[in-house]
Amino acid sequence: MRRKKDIVSKVLGGLSFLIYFFLWAPVIVIIVFSFSSNKYGVRWDGFTLKWYAALLSNEAVKDALIRSLIVACVTVVVSTIIGTMTGYGLYKLHFKGKQFLRTSIVLPIVFPSVVTGAALLVFFTRFIQIPLGYPSIIIAHIVFSTPLAVFVILGRMQRFDWSWEEAAMDLGATRIRTFMRVTGPTLFPAIVASAMLIFPWSFDDFVITYFVSGIGSTTLPIYVFSQLRFGATPVLNTIGTLFVALTIVALVLMHFLQKKSESTYA
Amino acid sequence: MTELSNGRKENHGAVCLDVKDVVKRFSGVTAVDHVSVQIKDGEIFSLLGPSGCGKSTLLRLIAGLENQDLGDIRIAGEIVNDLPPYKRDCSTVFQNHALFPLMTVTGNIGFGLVERRLSKSEIKKKVSEKIDLVDLGGMEGRRPDQLSGGQKQRVALARSLVLEPKILLLDEPLAALDRKLRKEMQVELKRIQREVGTTFLNVTHDQKEALSLSDRIAVMNEGKFLQIGTPDEIYETPRTIFVASFMGASNIFPGKAVSKKNGAIELETRHGSRIFAPVTEDAAQDEIAGISVHPEMIRIELPAGNEQQFDAEKHTAFRGIIKEVFYQGNFSEISVLIKESDMPLTVFLTRGAGLETPISEGQDVIVSWESRRNNVLRK
Repeated sequence: MRRKKDIVSKVLGGLSFLIYFFLWAPVIVIIVFSFSSNKYGVRWDGFTLKWYAALLSNEAVKDALIRSLIVACVTVVVSTIIGTMTGYGLYKLHFKGKQFLRTSIVLPIVFPSVVTGAALLVFFTRFIQIPLGYPSIIIAHIVFSTPLAVFVILGRMQRFDWSWEEAAMDLGATRIRTFMRVTGPTLFPAIVASAMLIFPWSFDDFVITYFVSGIGSTTLPIYVFSQLRFGATPVLNTIGTLFVALTIVALVLMHFLQKKSESTYA
Repeated sequence: MTELSNGRKENHGAVCLDVKDVVKRFSGVTAVDHVSVQIKDGEIFSLLGPSGCGKSTLLRLIAGLENQDLGDIRIAGEIVNDLPPYKRDCSTVFQNHALFPLMTVTGNIGFGLVERRLSKSEIKKKVSEKIDLVDLGGMEGRRPDQLSGGQKQRVALARSLVLEPKILLLDEPLAALDRKLRKEMQVELKRIQREVGTTFLNVTHDQKEALSLSDRIAVMNEGKFLQIGTPDEIYETPRTIFVASFMGASNIFPGKAVSKKNGAIELETRHGSRIFAPVTEDAAQDEIAGISVHPEMIRIELPAGNEQQFDAEKHTAFRGIIKEVFYQGNFSEISVLIKESDMPLTVFLTRGAGLETPISEGQDVIVSWESRRNNVLRK
């Protein structure tokens, strides 16, 4: 009996190790080799920062990076605002078809990206003539990011004590003042958390962006993909490192904010 | 002007809140059904009733958190029917306190003053006055999650009182507290009310709280006022079967009046026995639905060999069998089966009035009380 247990725990431990190994090893390899002077970026030949210098002097990368940052920032701002308003409406208002709207908001998340991307492309070019480039990319990103904001904000609202709003109005605050002084500040950590979730989501997106970006509007993930034709290069390693760093910062911030807001309202 | 001719001060006894024929329906259910009441300046008035009777809805209508379908609400003479909550001269203490979690005690109490655009120094002065009033010195910098239930209650009270409203609305303010704290806060509420003199409208489902706290009580059920009166009126002379049983006069004999003589009404109960009760001025004979008697008014005696005869006009007496004895410490709650009632009689036997021999279940006894204790119930 004892022996059996040992074997089980050893097997499970080994599996867990493998999972984490495949999760972390590629990321660590990329980060390590982004500092290696080997020109194929696959072997440790001594420390260097020259690939980062090359990255900065590469106009195509810079162009793609700036485009990705602009898209991500606009997406974050618009999605969190729409998401907050939608969440508030879905939570506070009572109307027919609310349940349907609330459930259907999940569609952009569960739909395969290929389907969403292709559908958006057809929609933009055949039906409403949205120019491909910034407008199409940003609209597409808002479409798949807003549901995330709605989810995060609805989740927090469920644990709210809404008599705060009534109390504020009872004490003389108008609706707008109530939102500014009570509801807004209480929702703020959730709003920032959803922004931190949306930023890497938008910054990383490849599939949908690939469909709707058109010619000449390359975002960073698309640039990386296009460069893979030339095999792995050290510059790709530096871009990878950049992605990892940005994503981790955003996730850590989000985690911290959620912890904080939970301890405040529990 | 009659008040002036009586030599009383003009504001004394002035109507603070006037609710006139107010109706509120929620999708077919009438939560408040043609309710009218006038509450005077400086009164503690309680709306008492079981949950779902419409008392909280009425409070929310007065606060402006809901709007009535019919009727008028006046606060200090001004019709407030269409005013939003932030324009009404009243303030609510919510059941769960509803303190703003991100603000300190000071921030919470000063919230309404900031909305009124008072200067910082004025806000500071008023807030610290109210902190003293509710005895929260030293807690100024704390957030709500660092306060106990009783302290939250005090903050909520101060937050409303600092605005000096014409009327303070309290929505089951003590329900969230444990029993010992509730008692303490009752005393506090009364002290604070005496100090500030603000009219209190208190919503509660707790008869004891209403009786000990209020100047007047309105008993509510199914959206209607069943009786309005002082605590002793409500407790001692409940008007209807519902009020009687809700206020703990749990012994009720339904029946109809058959005659009036010598200042007494003779009632025939459903079981054919005759009970006498003192006449009340306004009860028409065909309005009478029965009588009630409080458990603490009933005596229990063991049947002696030589049966004494009771004069039915002076004493009401029945033979019965002890069904159960619930020991409560300072008294025992005894239920006695009698032939003349479907429900067993409830009798409170205090220790001081105890019998020589202990009572046990199944024992034959005689229950009796003075007929003047019988209270006439109306339909």
